[in-house]
This record gives sequence, structure tokens and C-alpha cells, in this order.
Amino acid sequence: MEISAYNLIFHELIGLFTEVINSNDPSLKKIRGKVVGETRNMLIVETYDNNEKMVPKSGSTFLFHIPLLGGNSRVTEQVKVNGNLLLSQPENRIKNIRKIRMR
Amino acid sequence: MYDMSHYKKNKNIVKDVAMERIQRLFELADAEHSSNSARSDAYVSLARKVGMRYLVRLPRELKVRYCKKCGSYLVPGNNCRIRLKGRYMAITCLKCGNIKRYIYRPAMLPEPLADELV
Repeated sequence: MEISAYNLIFHELIGLFTEVINSNDPSLKKIRGKVVGETRNMLIVETYDNNEKMVPKSGSTFLFHIPLLGGNSRVTEQVKVNGNLLLSQPENRIKNIRKIRMR
Repeated sequence: MYDMSHYKKNKNIVKDVAMERIQRLFELADAEHSSNSARSDAYVSLARKVGMRYLVRLPRELKVRYCKKCGSYLVPGNNCRIRLKGRYMAITCLKCGNIKRYIYRPAMLPEPLADELV
């Protein structure tokens, strides 16, 4: 099942391009870069100047760029995600797929 | 009314997503290895966790790409050594020295025709 806007919150976030568009901590706003790691409460984002920033999932809103056409092109789909939906250990996130009715 | 088919359908979706995540993580580990090998080891460990949690087996071509003892991502010519020793292939991790052996069967040669034997 390919990554899409419908299954993004169960899928692999590592490797996706993201930006923080809103956060309870205003200093974290406008962080942009590639997701390189994930813990239960944090996303680790590598910015363009090769800094690793830890962004808490709770209270933040992320804009993920999903590559289309199998990742071969630069065309991306942009998905806005409430960080509270991602609050789980990365390997446990798929489990929630059963609670949500897939259509 | 509880619909059983709905449950089964979702169960397959879970394994599909898990398999795709594992393959994606190994791709990322391959891409990151030259610049940040610690990060690629972390991706492999996450891929194994996903596989264990949802009972998804790693395919054989991915199984030989990490060390089962120290968990590092193996790249031939960089941090592992691959030798063919008769009936098995030996993969040595140069980080911890662990040797993993996989049996292989040499390619079968076509049987000679009857008139060629004379």
C-alpha cells in the first residue's frame, strides 16, 4: 500500500520533507527539512544547514511533502497533519489503522 | 452489525503498510550509510521492530543486509566481507566479527546429450 494522504499517519515519516507550520513554541515555527528520526514524542528534523532539530509532536502542526509518481519526480502532494495524531512509538503507529474505517 | 470482512481487509492493510515501511527503511539505510552509518543502523533496527510487531518476515535479500549480532547495516566492501566457501556463503561483519553462513546450491549445468558423451 503506497504512501498517500489517507495512510500518512500510519506510514513511514522518516525520509519525508516536512515543515513546522504551527507550534505551541513559536521558536520552532518555520523549521524545514528532512525527517531523520522519530521517538514517541518527538520528530527529529535535519535542516538545510545540517542541524538536527527535535520538534515535539504534541501541539505542533506539520506540512509533509509526499513524493508522487513513485518518488521519481519532484511533484509532491502537501499534507497538513496535526502532530497529536502521530503521538505513538513509530513501530506502534500502524496498529491504529484498525480503529479508523478505511474507505 | 459487525462485519467480519471489514476486519480481515484491515488486517491485510496493516501487513501491507508494515512491509512497505520495512522496504522504505532499508532504502533509506542504504542511502545514508556513506554519510551517517549510525543513522542507517537505527533505520535497520526500526525496520526489524516493525517486522516483529506485525509478524512480517523480512525477505531474504534484506535479511543478508544486516548483522544479526550487532544490528549494523552491512555494505559489502565497506563493513562486511562475503566469501563463497564450497556449499555456503560466509558473511563476516567487520564491526563485531560475527560470521553468518547461508547455504547455496551451485547453478545446475545442463546434462550433456548422449552423442556428446561418446
